[in-house]
Formats: sequence, structure tokens, C-alpha cells
Amino acid sequence: MKRYSIVLFLAAVCTLSAASSLSVGKAELKSAGQLAFNPQGILFVGDAMGGAIYALDTDDSKASAGVAVDVKGANLKIAALMGTTPDQILINDIAVNPLSHKVYFSVSRGRGPEAVPVLLRLDTLGKFQEIALGKVKHSKVELPNVPSAEGRQGANKRMEAITDLAFVDGNVFVAGLSNEEFASTLRSIPYPFTTADKGTNVEIFHGAHGRFETNSPVRTFVSYKIAGKPHLLAAYTCTPLVKFPISELKPGQKVMGTTIAELGAGNRPMDMIVYTKGGTDYILMNNSSRGVMKISTANLEGYEGITKKTDITGVPYETLAEFKGVEQLDLYDSTRALMLIRGEAGSLDLKTISLP
Amino acid sequence: MKIFLLAIAVAVTLRASEIRMEKSGGGYFFRITDATGSDDFTVTVDQPDAPPMLGSVTREGRTLQFSPRFPLTPGMKYRAVWQPLSGNAQTAIFEVPKPIVARSTLVTSIFPSSNQLPENQLKIYIHFSAPMAKGEAYRRIHLLNSNGEEVLLAFLELDEELWDREGKRITLLFDPGRIKRGVLPLAEVGGALTPGGKYRLVVDAGWLDATGLPLVKGLEKRFAVVPADRQSPDVALWKVTVPTAGTPLVIGFAEPMDEALLHRMILVRSENGKEILGEVKVDAEETLWSFQPHTAWTVGNYTIEVDTALEDLAGNKIGRLFDVDTLDKVDDTQRTPKIILPFAVR
Repeated sequence: MKRYSIVLFLAAVCTLSAASSLSVGKAELKSAGQLAFNPQGILFVGDAMGGAIYALDTDDSKASAGVAVDVKGANLKIAALMGTTPDQILINDIAVNPLSHKVYFSVSRGRGPEAVPVLLRLDTLGKFQEIALGKVKHSKVELPNVPSAEGRQGANKRMEAITDLAFVDGNVFVAGLSNEEFASTLRSIPYPFTTADKGTNVEIFHGAHGRFETNSPVRTFVSYKIAGKPHLLAAYTCTPLVKFPISELKPGQKVMGTTIAELGAGNRPMDMIVYTKGGTDYILMNNSSRGVMKISTANLEGYEGITKKTDITGVPYETLAEFKGVEQLDLYDSTRALMLIRGEAGSLDLKTISLP
Repeated sequence: MKIFLLAIAVAVTLRASEIRMEKSGGGYFFRITDATGSDDFTVTVDQPDAPPMLGSVTREGRTLQFSPRFPLTPGMKYRAVWQPLSGNAQTAIFEVPKPIVARSTLVTSIFPSSNQLPENQLKIYIHFSAPMAKGEAYRRIHLLNSNGEEVLLAFLELDEELWDREGKRITLLFDPGRIKRGVLPLAEVGGALTPGGKYRLVVDAGWLDATGLPLVKGLEKRFAVVPADRQSPDVALWKVTVPTAGTPLVIGFAEPMDEALLHRMILVRSENGKEILGEVKVDAEETLWSFQPHTAWTVGNYTIEVDTALEDLAGNKIGRLFDVDTLDKVDDTQRTPKIILPFAVR
């Protein structure tokens, strides 16, 4: 009983300190892209147009068991909700609140640079609600960008796309890809956000077959403990799966990731989740053209990197034939994943599936 | 004038004359007069099972108004329903007029401008005259070989298409997996470009601009492929033409450079370190950079500051190749973020 109260007290302190960094006001998102939650239900939104990451308290931290989700034509419904045709909206990302199990969507209403960013929540009754941003508890951190060359002709055209966002042990990790120079930016920003600490930028390389090394953009990543040490597993745009210890992500240091799997040509990794089934951990990854892969995490510490030119195997994975057209993937609860699946006639269907 | 004429709403069905769709300022709203008792006034797109549209309902006396959260879409039909406290709902369907607008957006330029590209070409920039719609780039751009066959998955397809802030320039990256030596995709399917080959980059006329209209016409860029460039840009080979009072500072490169980066990775500073403001021009297929200051040069010492992240067409930076062959024992520990080239105006 005593122990119980101490735990509760600590939890209260943590909640208080996290909440106190948020202030009520208008969250002026210029775009809404990648989404992530922290364990307390704070929603992080990547705003590439505004060059910022927002933390939003959407007042949805009440724990609730998940229900099976099955929404056919989620894109048609969202378009209708916004009074337009499905070709006038883009669903940029989905994420599941780990406490309430409600599904959140980042959507663009319109497709040009003037598109309106909208955040939606699907409640457990299958109804979409807009997250009002006019008076919301939030904070933001601006991502550093190259300043426009003052006095030069034309606007600064450099932008950084936010390709993935994740919350890991008190930090928001942001993977970015510039529309000009070819570089990897992986930024780690402590949360709660402070003006003093905008995080650190690390340059990440990956070796290929121990011979060529490239500074390359990370497409998607997930955190995972390997031999007790927290790592990031990152999938690159050119499909190697690379591991590196989080403790090595220090500013100004060149971080060399270890390639542990090669996932093949003509493919683009999209999302990754980690789950446990039958006492074993797995990674589930959806891909643009190579379906959904189930990757074993057994003995990840044992892969010392693909070192020979002929050696293109690495970590074993199986491609799950039953899943086709999976465009978005997130962990729903301990037994289910949430998928946004491209169905017939352009319909995007949202459903929970049992973790394979 | 045209817009005003078209702004007159067309009532398709009108059982209760009280429901109207009206235009005010920039947008439409729905209004029902003489709606006493019930505030249950919803609008949906005119499709089966459509959820109520986002918007707000306000009451002014006996009139209810539904203001949609987003502007209505031209050409779409909307159903407005008022449910009184008792009796049947009143329903009206409206169509938003669709003005006839001529298409006017064009591809204005494609970089690199050269018609000879290295096998390991990294980026293509396509510029448009007006903002474009996101979400369809990769089906509007085709790379065709000399037989007219499409090179599949030549470009890295990203959900976050790489547009500039104005939506007028898109960056295409050739799939790095098909450029990088020592990765599986290159071994499996080879590079997207083959030396000696002739290619056409085709931009479809059907690509929609931000207003939803296709381009005035498509565009084709023809180019031949030359062997891979695996050399970093060598600043020692650059030819700097020192300006006089009325002429620009000019740098000639030994090879074409990345057009976008040339606009922001070379700065000129005065002797006291202050950046000189002026106009940058990139010419001669991105082999010439010139800089004309806003105010004429004065006699003195200056420096050109080059960011070593400046890339050539193959993404090789100054002092660092796109992919380093570690067997070549390349030492990049000496790599500096800036290279300083001094010059003097006499």
C-alpha cells in the first residue's frame, strides 16, 4: 500500500512538470505531417512548412481499452466531413493515442501550398472529430533552418521534409530530408520543450558492405533495446536497415550505423512498429512495394554488420502475403496493429488487425 | 465580373423556400429563415451516408446560419437539412457554381540544364509558373529510355514530396539505392541511368496545379548519359574573374554544379566580414556563377566564402564524395565547413 502511494505521487509530479510547459492558445500549424504520442498522451505534430514540432495536449489522456476499428473509405468520409472530394485532401499520417486508443489523423484540406492543416480524431464510436487548435494546450520548438540569403533575388526555396517523428525516453527524434543538399539530419529534442535547448543534430552514416559509406537520409525509425541498450533501428531511403546506439547520438560526432539487413530494390520503407508476441519481440514494417515484413529481433546484437560484398542477407524477415497496399501502420494495443490500407477504387480503409 | 455572375446559387431541389445558400465575402454559407425552436441545422455533401460537414451554427432571431469550416468546392452539391422540433425535416440541395477558368500553369525550367548527365546524377529540379497540387508528382513524371520504355522506380518516391514553400519547385531524387555502390538495389536492378544511353524526362500535361487545373502543356527534357562522376568539386580549378567597379564577380566551375545550392552556398564578404548583398545569376548550364552587388564595388579586399556542402550534379560535396570508397583511403578529417577565396578590387 505504501509503495503504491509513492508510485502515484511520482506519477503526479511527472504529469505536472510535463503539463506546465504547455500554454493555452492558438497552435498556428502551417502544415500537419508526421504524428507521434508520448506515453502520457501528448501528441507531437511535425509541421514541415512552419519548420516546427508542436506538442499538443488534446485532453484525451483517460485510459480506455481499445476496440476493433473498421472504417471503410476513411478518406471518403474525411473528405465529406470537410465538404469536398477525396482528391482535395491528403491523409499525411495516423497515430494511436496509447492511453485512449483513439486514432488521430493529420490531414491537408487542399493540395497546394495554401492547404489547411487539420487534425482529426476518430472516437471509439467511429465518428471523426476535429481537434480544435484555437485554444489548445501546446508548446512548440522551431527546427533550425538555413536563413534566407538576405537581399538576394527570390525566396529561399530550401525546405526540410519531416520524414519521421518518434518519442523515445524523454526526447522527440525527428528525421528530416532537405529538398536541396543531400544529407541526413536526425535531431533529438528534449521534451518538455525549452527555448534554450533546440536539440542536437547528428550526422549519420551507414556503411555498405564495409566498403562504401554514405551520409544518407533516414526514412523511418523505431527505438528498440538491443542487449539492454536503447538503440534506434532506422530504415534508409535506399532500404538498408541500420542499428545504432542512442548513446552515440552526440552532436558534432560522426555516427556510423551498422547495416543489419538489406530490404531490396524498388522499395521504400514506410512505417515500423515493435511488438511482443509469445515472449518474442518482432518488428513489423510496411513497404511501398515489398509488402509488410515481419522482422525477427532475436539476436540483433549478434549482427556485426553486412561486411562482404556478396553477403546480402542480414537479419531474417518474412513478407506477410496477407497484407497488401498498407500505406500507414501504427501499434494499436498489445495485441493489435492499426493499418490504413489502399482498397478498391481509391478507398483508404482503416482497420485493426491481430499482430502476426 | 464572371465570378459575380456565377455566384448565383442554383437550387436543384427546394421544398422549403426558407433554406438558402448565399455568398458573402469570400465564401458560401447556408441560412434558414423562420427556424423557430430547433437549432438542428446540418449540411452534408450530397452523397449517401455522408457525415455532417464541419462548421458552426449560429442563430440570429428566427434565422439559423451554418458557416462551413472550409470553403465549399466548386461543382459540388450540398444538402442542407433543418430538423424542426416536430414534423418532417426540411431539405434543400444546392450546387456550387464552377467558374470556367483557362489553364495557365507551365513548367518554366528544369535543372540541370545540361543535356549530358552523369550516370550517378542525383537530383532534378522542376520549376513551375504557379503553385502546384501535392500528391501526384510520381505519376506525372516519367523517365523513358531510347526505346520509349519507362524506367521504373527511377526516382525516390516520398510521401512528403520535396516542394519548396511556394509549391512552385519540386526536387526529384534519383533513387539513392540505385546510385550508391555496395547496396542491394544497385546489385539487383542496376542504376536508373546507363552510360551511353539516351533518355527523355517527360512531365505530363495532366499534372494539376493548386487550383486543380492541368498544365497548359507537358514538357520533355532529352539528355544523354555520360560515365559516373566520382570526383569532388575541385576549388583549385575554379576560375575567378575579379570585378571592376561596374562588372560582376564571376566564378567559372570545371563542371556543372547544383543549381539550387549555387544560389545560397557562395557568399561574398567585405574586408570587415560583412556580407555583401547583391544578385546571383547562374548561367552556362550551371558552370558560371556571377554576383552583382546592389551597390557598386569599391576598392578593397574581399572574400568569397564557399560552403563545402555545395554539390556537383552527382551529389559530391567539396572534400566529400557522395559515397566514399573506404578502400581509397580518402581522408575527410581535414574537411572544413567553409573555403575562403580572397580577391581584391583595384
